[in-house]
Amino acid sequence: MNLSEALKRNEEKILALWTERTLDTYESSSFFKKSQDRFANPVGMNIREGLAKLFRLLAEGAAAQAFAEPLDQIIRIRAVQQFTPSQAVAPVLDLKWAVRQILSADKDCRELLPELAPFDRDADRAALQAFDLYMDCRERLHKTRIRELKSGSYILTDSACASALIRDNLRELSPTGGCAADKA
Amino acid sequence: MAVIKKDALARSVVEDPTLMTGSMPDKDWMDIPAVFKPGNYAYTTKPEKLEYLNSQQGVSFPNARAWNPEDEDWKLPANWKEIILKGLADRLDRFRSLKIFMDCCVRCGACADKCHFFLGTGDPKNMPVLRAELLRSVYRKEFTLAGKLLGKMAGGREMTVSVLKEWFMYAYQCTECRRCSVFCPYGIDTAEITMMLRELLHLVGCGINWAMEPVSNSNRTGNHMGLTPQAFKGNVEFLCEDLENLTGVKVNPTFNRKGAEVLFITPSADVFAEPGLFTCMGYLLLFEAIGLDYTWSTYASEGGNFGLFTSNEMMKKLNGKMYTEAKRLGVKWILGGECGHMWRVIHQYMDTMNGPADFLEVPKSPLTGTVFENAASTKMVHISEFTADLIKNGKIKLDKSRNAHIKATFHDSCNPARAMGMLEEPRYILNNVLDEWHEMPKNTIREKTFCCGSGTALNTEEIMELRMRSGLPRANAVKHVYDKHGINTLACVCAIDRATLSALMNYWVPGVQVAGVSELVGNALVIEGENRQELTEGLRTLV
Repeated sequence: MNLSEALKRNEEKILALWTERTLDTYESSSFFKKSQDRFANPVGMNIREGLAKLFRLLAEGAAAQAFAEPLDQIIRIRAVQQFTPSQAVAPVLDLKWAVRQILSADKDCRELLPELAPFDRDADRAALQAFDLYMDCRERLHKTRIRELKSGSYILTDSACASALIRDNLRELSPTGGCAADKA
Repeated sequence: MAVIKKDALARSVVEDPTLMTGSMPDKDWMDIPAVFKPGNYAYTTKPEKLEYLNSQQGVSFPNARAWNPEDEDWKLPANWKEIILKGLADRLDRFRSLKIFMDCCVRCGACADKCHFFLGTGDPKNMPVLRAELLRSVYRKEFTLAGKLLGKMAGGREMTVSVLKEWFMYAYQCTECRRCSVFCPYGIDTAEITMMLRELLHLVGCGINWAMEPVSNSNRTGNHMGLTPQAFKGNVEFLCEDLENLTGVKVNPTFNRKGAEVLFITPSADVFAEPGLFTCMGYLLLFEAIGLDYTWSTYASEGGNFGLFTSNEMMKKLNGKMYTEAKRLGVKWILGGECGHMWRVIHQYMDTMNGPADFLEVPKSPLTGTVFENAASTKMVHISEFTADLIKNGKIKLDKSRNAHIKATFHDSCNPARAMGMLEEPRYILNNVLDEWHEMPKNTIREKTFCCGSGTALNTEEIMELRMRSGLPRANAVKHVYDKHGINTLACVCAIDRATLSALMNYWVPGVQVAGVSELVGNALVIEGENRQELTEGLRTLV
């Protein structure tokens, strides 16, 4: 058996462990782990699907460009949750640990562990990509904030009363300060 | 600093599961304090706004001060605890619903996984049951025999500053969307629990500026933006000029006109901010096309009622203004624009607060003769109900090809859907103005619709991250129809949605714009004598 076959044979177990650990990063994760409905459980299912796709791509030695889509599915969510940057991208690196855990428990696969270097290298690449993506997401988040500020809705909270502004202007114009409106 | 051995580090990266921080709490929920940091709370009310409101008749907003949630000391009044407990006792006495909601929850958990805040964060205190428990635990301790005797064993807990901080955190991580209530076998309205939490917090001067400044502006000039009557009128007239350039149709709205048949009230954001402006252009064009005898008011110039997110007295006062103005102008009935929570106030609270509006007539469409029996008491009809009736009776001519650039999906805004039951009318309109539109998955629409994530005055930019988390369930469903059908427009009937979904789409599903249903009607409308330009983007076309 070669490494690729070993990964395929243990895919289910590796994904189960990896997904479990990733979803454990949420305070109350049992629903995220349990519900299989993509729309009722967007965090759980997007992460589950993203991790599965990413694992298959890594296992078949796909080109790094292909990682972008599944990584987006995971990182776009984690980039706006209350994680530090390292916590947000950590699940990608954790795959290396999950693979070792499972393969070392399988006596037919144990001897393949030293051959994992190329797989590890690709997982590292995916992790670096995840960090780029994380930064893109944060930048988009801040641009969204700026866009909203610029769109004019800020006037909702930061506007001055028009008549008060007129009064201020008059006050500035008056050499003695104060204006007719104040006296009225 | 410890010297890190390279080989040991390399080994740990692949062998130790230390990169992840499992977040399983190691303490009881009652013992985990709320931690405030930039991005997870909205800015507090400016003292001058609160002082102004507190000086107004019929409402009370004491303890104005500058304070920061991140500080240890919130500068609470010395007798804050007494104020809170007295306030709670008073409300338990006045609102039977609150007493029942405090007592009847069996903690079945049906609501737990239905909240968009929980689904986006995984924070257990965002489960509606636990959010309500934040108040219920204090209620048990102070107002039930079991709680008084057994304390924590009976689920009771002392009212402390830490509990108060937790209330502030989670009362502002609920958009009162009422999705959880749809699933509650006892019909507990969690939104009303949030409303009570916010009321209690206001007693000690703890509120957010994004709610209180619009409230203050509405109380002063009649609308959230604080627009003066002249500015409000000027903005509408500016839109009329745009419409004339685009369609050749001269639109002549009137303002504060006594004796008009209908008073039209919409959220001021429609008059002021994109993309609501285009929805407003849709209204103006429609009313011109059918020759409606209507007037705008520059005093009742706001459909939105942030009083709903503040206190019941404030809600009553802001709602009352619309009816006072209708009476002053002597109109027969009120037509309401695409607002969300305005409709909840109208349908669920208006009648007992300020109603019945006996001085008005049961709304009857002057074009079709349809009597809107559903509005027999409130005398206020939704623009989508009105438009759908016009279409059904063949009173307007629509050309779907004018919306050829639109491929839409429809977001049921929480309040029109769940508080008003308006599910079919917008869909009927979309069927008549669009060639193609697609529904989102069925557990995310109609009465099960997911909130935009930023309602109840949470649509402020300093909590953009929080809004993106809570809006994820909605955005996730939009993304599905975007991937599957290539939709480019998210249609809705709520002004807050138009603003907040624009930001939400910008993060989660770039390439999808947000449009009011009335904008799409305006795009498709064929008007006699028009001289329409080639409008490839409908009313948004720059000419």
